[in-house]
Amino acid sequence: MKTIAFPIVLGLTFIFLLAPIMVVVVSSFNAVGVFSFPPRSFTTRWYSQIDPSFYHALYVSVVVASITTALAVIVGVPGALALVRSQFRGRAILNAICLSPLTVPALVTGVALFQFSLIFWDVFRLTIGGTIAGLVIGHLTFAIPFVVRAVLASHTRFDFSLEEAAQNLGATPLQTFFQITLPILKPGIISGAIFAFLISLDEVPIALFMGAGDATTLPVKIFTAMEISFGGDILAVASLIVIASIALMLVLEKTIGLERLFATKQ
Amino acid sequence: MPMMLTLAAVFVIPIVFLLLLSLHNMTGPAQVGDEFTLENYRSFFTDTFYLRVMLNTLWLGGIVVLCCLIISYPVAYFLARTQSRWRGMLLFLVVSPLLISAVVRNIGWFPILSNAGLVNWLLMSLGIVKQPIALISNSTGVVIGLVHALLPFMILTLTTVIQRIEPELEEAAASLGASPVQVFFQVLLPLSVPGMVGGSLLVFTMAIAAYTTPVIMGGNRVMVMATFIGQQFRTVLDYATGATAAAVLMLLAALLTMLAIRLGIPRAEMAR
Repeated sequence: MKTIAFPIVLGLTFIFLLAPIMVVVVSSFNAVGVFSFPPRSFTTRWYSQIDPSFYHALYVSVVVASITTALAVIVGVPGALALVRSQFRGRAILNAICLSPLTVPALVTGVALFQFSLIFWDVFRLTIGGTIAGLVIGHLTFAIPFVVRAVLASHTRFDFSLEEAAQNLGATPLQTFFQITLPILKPGIISGAIFAFLISLDEVPIALFMGAGDATTLPVKIFTAMEISFGGDILAVASLIVIASIALMLVLEKTIGLERLFATKQ
Repeated sequence: MPMMLTLAAVFVIPIVFLLLLSLHNMTGPAQVGDEFTLENYRSFFTDTFYLRVMLNTLWLGGIVVLCCLIISYPVAYFLARTQSRWRGMLLFLVVSPLLISAVVRNIGWFPILSNAGLVNWLLMSLGIVKQPIALISNSTGVVIGLVHALLPFMILTLTTVIQRIEPELEEAAASLGASPVQVFFQVLLPLSVPGMVGGSLLVFTMAIAAYTTPVIMGGNRVMVMATFIGQQFRTVLDYATGATAAAVLMLLAALLTMLAIRLGIPRAEMAR
């Protein structure tokens, strides 16, 4: 396969992979509009036309992702440890249930939570849908399994003699947990938490059905705004997201390494 | 255990209620009756409209898998065999689209694929077509969007598998007089079949479960199961039918995942 055709095929594939991302940034400066390319005149007008509600949606997204990730770690790490360390019948089933939300299409989870929030309102007069709490509830469905799986994966090569040594030297169970167990599992927990955070920022179907009004995440805000009118301001928002994502990626690459981050995923 | 209680409250119970909802008849907009019935499932599997939505979903999923296989193989082969110092960089470029919001990536296809967009401009400038061809807001757009979204998963799976095929096998075949084409079809391809099956199952499952990309790239016009379910809950307000379709989609995804576990291959992830 050492012909001239091979490099061309490779080049085209990488262009295909990266084209929409680069085009978003270029097109956001196109004065003629969203749908025409290549651009014929330059403008920054779309950036000044971004509606303030997009910034509010960004704020909602960050708040929801932060609370979700924190809760998922607080609940998920002890839960995963209990799962992996205790010996009882049905452990395999509980394990499967913990990871099952990842195999259910997010849209199905979204509509399930949506009708459940309606039932909740009918029975208890409690509003879950359309609140930050509702969005957090929705995102916990995948955030907890992400953390659990990351902990399970990093626990497979756990050296129990380190914990025994600590206890022999007089450490209390609590000290052992915080000074031995947790530091060993930390890389796994961090990568699970980062995934949970990133997916929460990006996810549409669940946030679409659990959010409304002021409690709308940024991707859902863009998604619904496109259905109403798709203009240059949306491209400007998308372009800002691309730039922020690339910055975030570079930070992750420098601090953790993307390959390592993805390696813990499967 | 707090974790199990949380998961039960936010996930298991809502899913159970969704399944119960699918067992009631619709009595009005956003209303269902009290009796339990399997009527929704009966009509879902007999009505030609629903069957067509289901077949359309599976058909599009199949095309997406085929496109991903064909596009991924050369890149995966290169990434598996190269000694280049750019390998890490290229691998980074392969996974980087996964870290950019799906909504944003879909938006980027509009200036490229719409009537006044890049592809039609190129095709018309080169005189290949006279009228712009519709590449977005239809099934073609959905396929392009899904192939783009799922390609990294296929490339990563195939790269791992091709890495395990010893290069000596190719060299031996070549030195025994096999042409590059023969080496590919008689040595490489048969040995990569397990990876291709694994990657295909992964991509197919995520393709039929995807919601965001089919809505945006299909311009709300392409009916696959996910867009159909979304429509039932958002605009048509026939919750019973929506819940039935959701149950069928969930079952389909679960069966494919169980198959993947049985074959010992990476599982699909439906968080987006």
